[in-house]
Amino acid sequence: MEPHRRTVVNEVLQGGHGFAGGAAHGGHQLNGHKPVELDAVAFRTASERILSAINTVIDGKAEAAKLALTVLLAQGHLLLEDVPGVGKTLLAKTLARTIDCSVSRIQFTPDLLPSDVTGVSIYNQSSRQFEFRPGAVFANIVIGDEINRASAKTQSALLECMEEHQVTVDGHSYGLAAPFMVVATQNPIEMEGTYPLPEAQRDRFMARISMGYPDKDSEIEMLETHQATSPLERVTAVVTSADVAAMIATVQQVYVSEAVKEYTVAVGRATRDSAMLRLGASPRSMLQLLRAAKATAALDGRDFVLPDDVVAVAESVLAHRIILDRKAASTGETPQSVIRGILAKLPVSQEMADSAIAHRRAAGSGQPAPRSGRQTPELRHSR
Amino acid sequence: MTLTPQRQVRAEERPPQTEPSRGPDRFSAGAYPWVMAAAVAVSVCGAALSLNGVLRGWAWFLPVLTTVMVVSLAMAVLRSVRAQPVLVPLGGLASLVLILTFTFFRRDSIAGFIPSDKTMPALGRLLRRASETVLAESAPVAPNAGIVLVTCAALGLVVILVDALALPLGMPATSGLGLLAVLVVPAMIKPQSVGLAGFVATAAGYLVILACSQWFAPDARTQADTARNPGQIKRAALTGSVALVAALLLQLAIPGFNQGTFPQGSRLNPWGSSNGLNPMISLGNSLRSPSGDGRITYATNATEPLYLRSVTVDRFDGEAWSPDDRESTRRAGPGRMDVGHEILAPEQLRQITAVNTGEFTSPYLPAPYAPEAVNGLTGRWSWDPATLTIKGIDTNSRNQQYLVLSSSPKLTTELLNQSSAPVQGVPEEFIRPPANLPEIVRTTADSVTQNSGTAYAKAIAIQRYLRAGDFTYSLESPLQGGYDGNGLSVLADFLTQKSGYCIHFASAMAVMARVEGIPSRIAVGYAPGRLTGATVSVAGQGALPEFEVDARDAHAWPELYFQGLGWVPFEPTPSRGVVPPYAQDPSSGGASTNDGNNDGLIPTNGATPPATPETPPLPLPGTGEGDAGSQLAPLLYGTAAVLVLVLVAASPRLVRGSIRARRLRRPASGRNGQAAVPLAWAELLDLAADYGVPPVASETPRNFSARLRGSPALSPDDGGEQEGAASAGSIQARSMDGGPTDAGRRAVITLTGDFERHEYGRPGTGQAGPDGEGDPTAGDQTPAQQIALVREALRRNAGLMARLRADWLPPSVMSRWGWIAGTPFRAVRGVAARVRRAVAGLWDKVRDGARRLREG
Repeated sequence: MEPHRRTVVNEVLQGGHGFAGGAAHGGHQLNGHKPVELDAVAFRTASERILSAINTVIDGKAEAAKLALTVLLAQGHLLLEDVPGVGKTLLAKTLARTIDCSVSRIQFTPDLLPSDVTGVSIYNQSSRQFEFRPGAVFANIVIGDEINRASAKTQSALLECMEEHQVTVDGHSYGLAAPFMVVATQNPIEMEGTYPLPEAQRDRFMARISMGYPDKDSEIEMLETHQATSPLERVTAVVTSADVAAMIATVQQVYVSEAVKEYTVAVGRATRDSAMLRLGASPRSMLQLLRAAKATAALDGRDFVLPDDVVAVAESVLAHRIILDRKAASTGETPQSVIRGILAKLPVSQEMADSAIAHRRAAGSGQPAPRSGRQTPELRHSR
Repeated sequence: MTLTPQRQVRAEERPPQTEPSRGPDRFSAGAYPWVMAAAVAVSVCGAALSLNGVLRGWAWFLPVLTTVMVVSLAMAVLRSVRAQPVLVPLGGLASLVLILTFTFFRRDSIAGFIPSDKTMPALGRLLRRASETVLAESAPVAPNAGIVLVTCAALGLVVILVDALALPLGMPATSGLGLLAVLVVPAMIKPQSVGLAGFVATAAGYLVILACSQWFAPDARTQADTARNPGQIKRAALTGSVALVAALLLQLAIPGFNQGTFPQGSRLNPWGSSNGLNPMISLGNSLRSPSGDGRITYATNATEPLYLRSVTVDRFDGEAWSPDDRESTRRAGPGRMDVGHEILAPEQLRQITAVNTGEFTSPYLPAPYAPEAVNGLTGRWSWDPATLTIKGIDTNSRNQQYLVLSSSPKLTTELLNQSSAPVQGVPEEFIRPPANLPEIVRTTADSVTQNSGTAYAKAIAIQRYLRAGDFTYSLESPLQGGYDGNGLSVLADFLTQKSGYCIHFASAMAVMARVEGIPSRIAVGYAPGRLTGATVSVAGQGALPEFEVDARDAHAWPELYFQGLGWVPFEPTPSRGVVPPYAQDPSSGGASTNDGNNDGLIPTNGATPPATPETPPLPLPGTGEGDAGSQLAPLLYGTAAVLVLVLVAASPRLVRGSIRARRLRRPASGRNGQAAVPLAWAELLDLAADYGVPPVASETPRNFSARLRGSPALSPDDGGEQEGAASAGSIQARSMDGGPTDAGRRAVITLTGDFERHEYGRPGTGQAGPDGEGDPTAGDQTPAQQIALVREALRRNAGLMARLRADWLPPSVMSRWGWIAGTPFRAVRGVAARVRRAVAGLWDKVRDGARRLREG
């Protein structure tokens, strides 16, 4: 198995907590000590440091970087899906490097075994007992490259860890590190011998990002900066894992009003009612959507969630979980476009609806809802 | 009321802020409504002062005063409790109805002031009385209950109009229109026009309104108007056009300018041929009327030219002569009438006349003298035994067809000469010479009749004097000479200037006859008409030739009483009417027969020299019920119409204003009042909609705010840059230049932030969020002030049309109305869609079943 598993960074494998005790831990919650929350300024400083560090490496992908950080702070997992060579792995690695934490990387191949991921009990000759040798998943950030190349069995092993934040081997449960985040990359191009993630398993990822090609200037700049050395080399950690844990705790404290909950639920129901979708968003995805929105709000410097935050992450969070109706697919719709369409029609609040309802005629059909999908341009006047 | 001090303080501290904000809370000042109501009441009462002279005495002033006070007070109370602006005039109307009921129909109402079903008949009675008064009397009229009721109602409406103009519409200057409406009445009717006192009082009241609206305006709005406000030109234009329209409308509605100090004008009366206040007054106008209104046709078997007589005037005292209806002695039912005195003539002439009054409208019925029976009338009529005038009780002469049986003694010169017996059995009022008779009348009468022995000789002498060449018939010279109309002083002028028309000749002869001891009265009606060429078939008489008369034939002539012969008509007017044979001057022979007689007046079958006096019946020139109202009713209608017009035109504006005021009133209860935030947000949405940036339901507040700020409505110069700039810093930088647009944009940002925090933030965290740097420039302003800033910025960037639309037809109101109006249609559409789906589903099921049946 060794040849198939390359652990690029595995310095600070904090095995100390988690698997030693053998007791099952609480899963999602940050285990062990309760991290202190950060105040607004500290949070902002930390998040800006991370983002600017990433942006020095990856040109023109600020949105993707921000979303990756959002997912990290929302305690979710990230699925990077795009054609080869647009920087999926680079993004994942850069994010991992900016944080002073343990990182492991798994290159998925068809013959990778589940135990390579989770770990295995090995008989120790000297102590004459089985010892648990932790797998690659025991790290704060786990980068799973080309996850669709692994067999379904191995995929399942990873996904189980992602969901439960623990590994169970031989009847023992070993808790995973906190913070814990899996950044998986996937190549959407049909290839021989791949096992695309089933819908049910894609649901485990909080968000999916398509990197997209960089624009012209960014690409030129990339050619220059990446010629001699990899800029990744220059990246050093800008925050500690404790900082990240504190940031996560801060995000958890973000307030979600009834109105926003209602709006979130309305979005989910709209996907389920949509005639263009065969499968709508699951309740779990609603939870994840709201968590991502909370992280977005916090990154925007607020302690409460706006509908804008929900809108901002909805496409990334929901698009990979829904399945298009065949008819809709044949008309050129994509999951993203369907989500956008739903958001463009869904009333945000009763106030806006009441006020707008009468003006619908005045507004005319020629005035589409100004929705730019993933990004709301309007976070700028926040204070 | 505890708010009053706060409010005033706020109003005072605002001026230092330079922005000319249009205060949204302008209705809520504590003292303002009271002061303004007092100003309006004072001004209207001042204007009402000028009505003295139109109405006699001052007894009417107290009810007017209470009405004006009550209406003003009611509106002030409503305003002080911050009722919706639309409700205020409605409340004023309601209070007007209540106070009128209380004043005039206390017995016919519930609890003394609530109108009941008994009130309407009472109201009808009073209105009829008012119209009769208006018809019958000339100014000044007696202030009977009907007239006072109409006056009070009109002035109450004026109060509401003035109030509406001055307050909710914010155009105090135009409130002068309402006051002008009051002044127009005396200006037209009183010979001395408005009068100095009335004018001064009105002008003072108007100035009080202007001053109060300026001093007490609770916000900068009206103050800003005095300087460089972009809306000023628009408002000035608007005021001007409203005044112009009102002037044009008024001209249509009012009876005309032929009295008082206004120059002679023609009248346009849309309500029929009616045209007068008083038969005596309207006579001249009828004669001058170029059109033949009030056409009457009649067919008669009389052999002499027939005068149709409507009414008589017998009181020559005072400045205004008018018919005396003698209501107490009138008898119902003109089916059988009796002249009431002995006729000793050897031969009675009896005539049958069929009259069709057509459009002619008057309470008095034109009939040949002396009617014995009138048949075929509709409605109830009464007749006066003393004068044989026939008057409608609850009806008028419009569209009446009736048959008059009349009789008169066959008069001859001999008979008249013999009638020298002292007059007996004639009421005193026909005999008594008028008091304070001008000296010229007496001296003229004496000199004219000094050589005449008998009463008949005297009468002939007077008639000869008047028909002689010294006097000229002219409709114009009395007007130019300033003595048109009637009255003793007019008579004196006429005798001096020796020019006038029938009313002057008739009154001169009548008065002079009385001076000489002959009972007299003036009959008013129509001179003999023209043949139409048609014939009318009358039962028992066969086909009779038909005649027609109209307003141009209106006429007045004297009737003198001769013992044993009754009332004998004379014709002193040169060139009008037909001199009856008995009245022809023996000294001038037959010459006078044709002297000035209208050629066409003599009926063909009466072409022989007239031998017997036909009673000269004179119909009233167009006067009637319709007219009766015409003096005040058009004013009422006009005022009401203008009021309604203004209200309707302004109603979207009023509604919008009231919505805004209601929303923005809240901050008064606490600057950080949480309730204020969503209301201000709703106002922002509507404001944006008014200026062309309607909200979209699926927009988040933030997106809406950004779109608003990026739209041309708030960034006319560089919307693109605004859209492109991504950082908050750019906004901060831009806001440095501090123009109103930037202030507006900043206010939008603040409002959005506040709303987001209020709507989505942690409850109870109040103003500043965790991120709360706050906007140092905007943070300490109330939402109402923010809205004012936004509004100012929007107005500044909008074109004239957009501003007009936002003010008068705000889309936020109009589209909501449209939405409401469309509700039934949407409901129907929804039902239809459901039915369609159900049918389609049923059809599918049937088809599937059939297929399954076939396959199975």
